[in-house]
Amino acid sequence: MTLQLELGKVRQKRIALTGNHAVALAAKMARVEVIAAYPITPQTPAVERLAEFVNNGELDAEYIPVEGEHSALSAVVGASAMGARVFTATSSQGLGFMYEILPIAVGLRLPVVMGIATRAYSAPINVWGDYSDVMSMRELGWIIYMVSNVQEAFDTTIQAFRVGEDPSVHLPVAVAYDGFWISHVLQPLEVPEDEEDVMRYAPITRSWRKLDVDNPASLGAVGTPEWYFEIRYAAYKALEDSIKVVLEADALYGKMFGRSYGLGSGYKLEDADVAIVTYGSIYGLARKAVDALRAEGIRAGALKIRLLRPWPADFLRRRLDGVDKVVVVDRAFNHGGLVGPVATELAATLARPIYSAYATIGMRATDSAALKKAAERVAKGEVEPMRPFNIGLRGP
Amino acid sequence: MRIESVWIGRGGQGIVTAVYIVAHASIADGFYAIANPEFGAERRGAPVKAFLTITDYFEDSPEPIKNPDVAVFLDDKLIDTMRVVVEAVKPGGYVIVSSGKGPEEVAGIIGRKDVNIAVVDGIGLALKHVGLAVPNGPMVGVFAKVMGLPRLESIKEAIASQLGKAVEQNFAAAVEAYKTAVVIPAAEAGSAKISVEIPTTSAFLTGDYELVGWDQIPEGGLVYPGSSLRYKTGSWRVEKPIIDHSKCIMCRRCWLFCPDDAVLEVWREAKGPGGRVVRVKAIDFSYDYCKGCGICAQVCPTGAIQMVREL
Ligand code: SF4
Ligand code: SF4
Repeated sequence: MTLQLELGKVRQKRIALTGNHAVALAAKMARVEVIAAYPITPQTPAVERLAEFVNNGELDAEYIPVEGEHSALSAVVGASAMGARVFTATSSQGLGFMYEILPIAVGLRLPVVMGIATRAYSAPINVWGDYSDVMSMRELGWIIYMVSNVQEAFDTTIQAFRVGEDPSVHLPVAVAYDGFWISHVLQPLEVPEDEEDVMRYAPITRSWRKLDVDNPASLGAVGTPEWYFEIRYAAYKALEDSIKVVLEADALYGKMFGRSYGLGSGYKLEDADVAIVTYGSIYGLARKAVDALRAEGIRAGALKIRLLRPWPADFLRRRLDGVDKVVVVDRAFNHGGLVGPVATELAATLARPIYSAYATIGMRATDSAALKKAAERVAKGEVEPMRPFNIGLRGP
Repeated sequence: MRIESVWIGRGGQGIVTAVYIVAHASIADGFYAIANPEFGAERRGAPVKAFLTITDYFEDSPEPIKNPDVAVFLDDKLIDTMRVVVEAVKPGGYVIVSSGKGPEEVAGIIGRKDVNIAVVDGIGLALKHVGLAVPNGPMVGVFAKVMGLPRLESIKEAIASQLGKAVEQNFAAAVEAYKTAVVIPAAEAGSAKISVEIPTTSAFLTGDYELVGWDQIPEGGLVYPGSSLRYKTGSWRVEKPIIDHSKCIMCRRCWLFCPDDAVLEVWREAKGPGGRVVRVKAIDFSYDYCKGCGICAQVCPTGAIQMVREL
């Protein structure tokens, strides 16, 4: 049974999908023209669903079943360089196998959109969801979203096309969603009834520099030391400036479809003494932990980061400058670093010591009680700032 | 003590090996040295630059040399294109040139009276001793002669270590250059100040491109047609192709294979039957861009193209 809704100006319906299928549907409704992907757990159902759409004629696209992720990203980079709207998706070692091409999409300024069903890096082999894959691509120049539920995964994938193809941006965009906890979780979501509405929101701009036989040029030439710095700086600056476009695209989406997410969101931060900062699906657990802490008289708040790149420094300062103790629950190790990957950046952003915890590594289960306990330890001064502690690790 | 030198040559002339040999030998003599070649355009014939600093104290910075004590040219054709290097040499410094021309003529090309000039036929000596037109060994020998270091025995050790083969032959070339190089001492002191510096950019090695700001460069480093027009590779040549039209069957293989689009199809006037002058299609070369690789001569099925020595 689908429930008809009238939200904003766009007719929508409520359906139930897993995160993978929601991302596939978003790419289909954005009428991607070329898809190249290689299946890997937990992304597989997303690209299988896209293959079905193409196979049964619901989506008029080229689906290139490549022999690996290096080729998957290479193929969509090539197709994007020809002016096509493109999509790929991967996870973990698949992202690692794409690594060589990741910065190329940036340097060539191609608006590739990629779904990442996040997953731990081997070894040991672990097909489950943490964020070690996503954290490894932060410095390469992609716009990176991290979403918290199926609805947001759907909406953000559509926004990604509008943002990446914006004439002032022209950068690849990754939409990261928790392996299993979003990719394989079935949730209700509202989707536009008419694909035309999605295309009105995100028309294919084809405004990026592309290969054109009538106007020949070469893309991907050598950038000697006299030129590389400038060409790469232009991409660096475009990423920094894209934060405005991210916000505008999100606001327009809100107007048309009734949902917007900003650069992140806060929960009861206004008077908070301690804040739990995290990303992905466990933001829901953090909010529950906040309610439980408040019931015990600890003024807690929570914040989730939606945009990992460009790093939303001003947003984070505005929300957290007034909070005494900030603890980041990181979901990937920063091997050999001082504190967790996001904790490192947040401490620099706030220019003061904060607290750092590791959780869900290799998808070690966690719950709101565990997050509550962690925030309590921080509030009571039982852990030191800038010294990571672990949530749910066995041993000393 | 601090000796700063800049070595200018072409890919294939062994310039990197030359500075490694001098540095290696200087280190064997108990000095400190930094050989800092510039990499990137290591195509045969492309201009290449290398820095070499010798000190008697510890030094490890890759600071570009702006006013050298010594400039070494492994190819006299580069003096004009790299005139800034000649002009940047400190008064009283040295310009060392490999050239088949007479020393006075080379001094005229250099055009400075306040520097010492040393000339040797590096290619000739290399051909004589090693059988290759690679003048690096002789230039190392001349450097040792005019600077008084490194010692010849150390140079031999360095050649053995850096080349590992044809050691005796290369050393013999270096020794003969050491003995026979003609040195023209500076005629005047010159002004104490030099206004010219070698630019830190290597753009002058490739062409006179306008180095615009990051906001002026096409997005994604897109390059439009015609961008190589100012990059005249013709100066890279050691040999040039010439054609015997009577042997050419106009198969256009040379045109197809030339990596620099330097084979041209042109109209040529020829004597037709009965003495009439007719216009015929013919193969010609664009010597501004032909870098003398010899591929056209190699692929020509009739032997119509010959490569002839230019340098
Ligand atoms: S030698 Fe022949 S093939 Fe080589 S660049 Fe010159 S014309 Fe072209
Ligand atoms: S390859 Fe030889 S025969 Fe053929 S067109 Fe060139 S010069 Fe003439």
